[in-house]
Amino acid sequence: MRPLLPLALHLWRRRIGSLALGILLSVLVLGAGIALLGLSGWFITAAGAAGLAGAGLIFDVFRPSAGVRFLALGRAATRYGERLATHDATLKVLADLRVDLLHAMLRRPVRQLMALRGSEQLQQVTADVDALDGLALRLLMPFGAAIAVLSLSGVMMWFMVGSATTTWILTSFLVGTLLSFLVTARRARRPSRLAHRAMWALRMRLIDLLRGQIDLVLSGRLEETRGKVLAAGARLQAAQALLDKIDRWAAFLIGTATTLAATGVLVLAGRAALEGEIAPQFVALGLFATLALTELAIPLARGLSELGKMTDAAGRLQPMLAADQPEEPQQGHARPQVAEAGAPALRFRSVTQQIGDRLLFGNLSFDVASGETVALIAASGAGKSTLLDLAAGLIPCRSGDILLHGIASDKWPETERFSQIGYLTQRTSLFAGSIADNLRIGCPDATTDDLLRVIETVGLGNVLCGRAGLSTRLAEAGRGLSGGESRRLALARLLLRKPGVLLLDEVTEGLDEPMAQHVLAGIRTTLPQAAILLAAHRPAEIEFADRIVQLV
Amino acid sequence: MRPAYGMSLTASLLVLPQAYAVALLLGSLVEGGGTLRLVLTCAAIFLLLGIARQAAEQMSGRLAFRAGQAVIHDLRTGLIDRQIRQNPLDRNRSASAQLATLAGPGLDQLLAWFFRYRLAALRVSVIPLIILVVLLPISWTTTIILLVSGPLIPLFMALIGFAARDASEKQLAETLSLNSEVLEWLNTAPDLRLLTATDRVAATFAGTATRLRAKTFSVLKIAFLSSSVLELFAAIGVAMVAVYVGFSLLGTFHIGAWGKVLSVTEGVFILLMAPEFFQPLRDLAGAWHDKANAATIADTLDRMEWASASAILGDGRKCAAMPGPVTIAATDLVLARAGQQRLNFPDFFITAGERIALVGPSGSGKTTLLSLIAGLQVPSSGCITVCGHDLSDETADAWRRRLAYVGQTPHLFQASLRANIGLADPVPDATRVAQAIIDARTSEVLAALPRADQTRLGERGAGVSGGEARRLTLARAFYARADILLADEPTANLDDATAIAIIDTLNELSRRGTTMIIATHDPRLIAHMHRSIMLGSAP
Repeated sequence: MRPLLPLALHLWRRRIGSLALGILLSVLVLGAGIALLGLSGWFITAAGAAGLAGAGLIFDVFRPSAGVRFLALGRAATRYGERLATHDATLKVLADLRVDLLHAMLRRPVRQLMALRGSEQLQQVTADVDALDGLALRLLMPFGAAIAVLSLSGVMMWFMVGSATTTWILTSFLVGTLLSFLVTARRARRPSRLAHRAMWALRMRLIDLLRGQIDLVLSGRLEETRGKVLAAGARLQAAQALLDKIDRWAAFLIGTATTLAATGVLVLAGRAALEGEIAPQFVALGLFATLALTELAIPLARGLSELGKMTDAAGRLQPMLAADQPEEPQQGHARPQVAEAGAPALRFRSVTQQIGDRLLFGNLSFDVASGETVALIAASGAGKSTLLDLAAGLIPCRSGDILLHGIASDKWPETERFSQIGYLTQRTSLFAGSIADNLRIGCPDATTDDLLRVIETVGLGNVLCGRAGLSTRLAEAGRGLSGGESRRLALARLLLRKPGVLLLDEVTEGLDEPMAQHVLAGIRTTLPQAAILLAAHRPAEIEFADRIVQLV
Repeated sequence: MRPAYGMSLTASLLVLPQAYAVALLLGSLVEGGGTLRLVLTCAAIFLLLGIARQAAEQMSGRLAFRAGQAVIHDLRTGLIDRQIRQNPLDRNRSASAQLATLAGPGLDQLLAWFFRYRLAALRVSVIPLIILVVLLPISWTTTIILLVSGPLIPLFMALIGFAARDASEKQLAETLSLNSEVLEWLNTAPDLRLLTATDRVAATFAGTATRLRAKTFSVLKIAFLSSSVLELFAAIGVAMVAVYVGFSLLGTFHIGAWGKVLSVTEGVFILLMAPEFFQPLRDLAGAWHDKANAATIADTLDRMEWASASAILGDGRKCAAMPGPVTIAATDLVLARAGQQRLNFPDFFITAGERIALVGPSGSGKTTLLSLIAGLQVPSSGCITVCGHDLSDETADAWRRRLAYVGQTPHLFQASLRANIGLADPVPDATRVAQAIIDARTSEVLAALPRADQTRLGERGAGVSGGEARRLTLARAFYARADILLADEPTANLDDATAIAIIDTLNELSRRGTTMIIATHDPRLIAHMHRSIMLGSAP
C-alpha cells in the first residue's frame, strides 16, 4: 500500500474536481438504487397491510409509486452521467501519468537513456503504467462512494428502522470490508510481485531462447532451456493461483458481510415489529435497502483484487516519478558569460580514463581549434567513443580537464553545452513522423530552405526525390530509410543546429567511398568555423582530417 | 469446467429459497401470526443459504480459474514447443519480442474469459428462464412484465456487445497509441537530450494526449448511451413489477394471479426475484470485453498456426556424440520453399580435416547449405549423410555434438561470459573457459569487461561489439572441442585488424584438425582454405 498512496496523491491532486464529481455521481446512483429497493419493499408491505386492513381505498398509492418510477428513471439517467464522469476522470489521469513519466524519464542521465534504448525494460515501464489505469475507476471512486453511501443510508435507517439494526448493518458491513481489505493489502503484494517477476522471466527467457535458438540447438541445450522457460510459466501460474485465492477470500468476506447485515435486519427489526415497536413495512425497507448494499460490495471486491498488482507497479513507478533529478549538479552557474578570449574551442588537458583496472588512455592532451578537423585513431574498443562521450560531458572526467571555449565542460549547464556541441553518437535514432519533423526536432525555427539545403549536404536529395520530399513519412523508430540514410538524416539534424564543436562517431558508416567523401566535404562547407573531432575508421575520414591523434 | 458450471448455477439458484424465507417472514409479520421462533428460523435459513451461496460462487470462480489455467498452460507449452523447434532461418517467423508477449501476457488474457465470461454466459441462458418458470404459477402478469422488459434478450445482447466492444476497444486503442508514443520518445531519448529537445517533446506529447482523450471521450459518450438502455430497461422492469404488486396487494385490481388474491409473501417474493432476473444480464455486460480480448488472442494463435514453417531435425537435447571419423556427403540436395527461389546444391563429399570455402553470389544458398548440414532445416529432396549415417530426426542431435556454428549475427545470452562460452555445458568448467578464451585470442575482450568472465552479457548486461561477439562465439567452438566448424561470413563487416584476428583464430582451430566449412566472400579467408564449393551454378 505504501507506494500506492503517494502516487494516487500525486496524480489526483490536479484532478480533484473530476474525482469528486465521479464520486458524487456514483453516490447518487448507488443511493438511488438503495432508495428504489427500500421504497419498493416498504410500498409492497405497506400496501399488503392496508389491503388486509380493508383500508386499500384510503392508502396513498400515488406518492410512493411515483417515487418508485422517479427513482427508476432517475437512476438510469444518473448512471449515464456517472459513467461519463468517472471515465473522463480516468482518461485524464491515464494521460497525466504517461506525460509525467515521459517527463521524468527524459531527465535521466544520457548514458542511462542510451542503455535503455530499445530494451525490454521500457516495455516493462509501460506495462506498469497500464496496471495503474484502474486506480481511480476501480479503487478510489468505489471506495469513496461506498463510504459516502454507507454513512448516508446509515443516517436514514437510524430514523426509520431503528438504531440497533442500523448499528448492526454498518458494523457487519465495515468489519467485512475491512477484513477483506486487510487480507488483500497484507497478502496480495508478495504474490503480485512474484507473478510480475515470473512474467518478466518468462518473456526474457523466451526472447533469449528464440534469438539464440541456433546456438542452443547446436549445443544440445534447447530442451533444457525450454524447461527453464516453462518453469517460469509454472511459477507465474502458481503466483496467479495464490492471488486468485486471496481475491476469492476477499470477495467471500465482503459477500458474507452483506448477508450477515441482512440477517441482522431480519432478526432485530423482525423482533421489534413483533413487539409492535415498528411497523412491518420498515422491516421490509431496512431489508431491501441492505440487500441493495450488495451493489457496493461487488465493485469493491473487484477493485481489491487489483490492489496487489497496483501496489507492486506503483512501487516501481513511484521512484521513477519521484527521482525527477537533472543529470549533474548544476552548481548554480548560469551560462558562462564570456568565453576565455583566444581559447581553443575544445581542449583536453592531461585526460586519463580507466575502465576498471584497464587504462584506456593516459595523460592525453590536445586542442581542437575552430575551423580545424582532428581525427582520432585507435583499434576498436580502445576508447574513441569514450573520449567523445567525455568531450560531450556524458561521463564525468575523473582525471584531467576538458575545456569548452576555455571553461570546464562540466561547468556548462546542459542546455548551453549541447547548444555548443553537436554530437553524432554511434547509435542515433529517428522517430515516427515526416522527414521535416525529424529535422526540426532539434531546430524548430528552421525554414524549408534550410531543410532542403542540409538534405543536399548529406546527399539525401536523391533519396527523397522519388518520394514525398520533406513530408515523406517514417514509420516507428524511423523505419523506412536504410541504415546509411538514417545516419545521414541524423547528421543533417545535427548540422541544422550549427554547433561550434562537432563530435562525430563513425560518421560515414554504411556509405560507399564517393558518398563518404561528399558527406565529409559537405560538413566542412556547411560549418566552416566548427571545431570537428571525429572517431575515424576508414581512409576517407583520415584524409579529411587536418590532424591526427593516435590513442594508445 | 463442469463442476464450475454446476457450482455457479447452484449459487444463483440458492437465491430462490433464500428469497422465499424472507418473503415468508415479512408476510407473517404483516398478516399476523408471526412468532419469534418463525423469525429466527427464517433468518437462520437466510443466513445459511447466503453463506452457502457465497461459498459456491467463489468456489465456482476458483474452479473455472483453475480450469482456465490448465488450458492456458497447454496452449503456452504448445506455442513455445512449436516456436522453438521452428526452422530458425524462416522468414515468416514472428519477431521474438512479439511472440514472448503472446506467450506471456497475451495468453493470460484468456483467464478472465474463463472465470468471468463463460460463467456469466451460462447464467444468462439458465437463470432468467428458471425465474420466469417459478413466477408463472404465482402471477402471470409479472412474467409478462419481465418478458416484455427483458425479453428480447438477443437484442439486449447485441446492444451490450456493440456498446461494450466499442467502449473497451476505444479505450484500449487510446492506451496502446499513448504507450507506443511514450516508447517512441523513450527510444529516442538520448538524441532528444543531445538536441535539447526534451521540453518541446514533453509539451507536444501532453498536447497529443489531450487531443486523443477528447476523441476517445466523444466515442465513449455514444457507447455508454446504448449500454444505459440496458440499465433503463432493468430499472423500469423492477419498478413496474413493484407497482403492479403494490396495487394487487391493495386490492385495487385482481388480475394476473390466476384469479387468486396475491398474498404479501408472494408479493415480496416477486419483488425479490425481479432484480435477480436482470442480474445475469448485467454480469454478462460487465464481462463482455473479456470475450472480445479472448477472440483477438485466439485469432492471433490461429494465424500463427497457419504461418508455422518447417521444423528443425531432432529436438536439441543433450546426448552422446556420433562416433566415427568425419565425413559429410550430399547427394541431389534441393530446397524449394513457397515464394522463394528454388535452390539446387552441387553434390559434395567432405572428409576429416578439410577446409572448405562455400562461395557464390548472395542468394545462392550459402547460409542455407550450412543450416542443412547442421540439421536446422530439412531439404525438400536429396539427402545428407554424416559419418555414414543419414541425417534425420534420430541422428541430428548426436551429429550436432560434433559441430560448432558461428552465425552472421551471433547471439550472446543474458548470462555471464563464462556461461556464454561454456554453452555446451549447463555448468561450464572455469579452467576450460579460460583456456578457450586464450585459444580464441579473445583475452583483450575479457580484459575490457568489468567483472571478467563473470560479467553479465546481453540486454541488461555489458555490451560487446559485433566483431567481439563473433570472436566470443569462436571461443565457444574451442570450449566445445567441436571437430567440425560451420561459419557464416565470419569476417564480413569488420575492420581489418579484427578480421585478421579472426582468420588467425580459425587457423589455430584448423591446426587442431578441425574440419571447416566456411561461407565467405573474403579472398583473405578463401586463401587459407583447401578448396571451394561453388554454389549458384548447379542447374
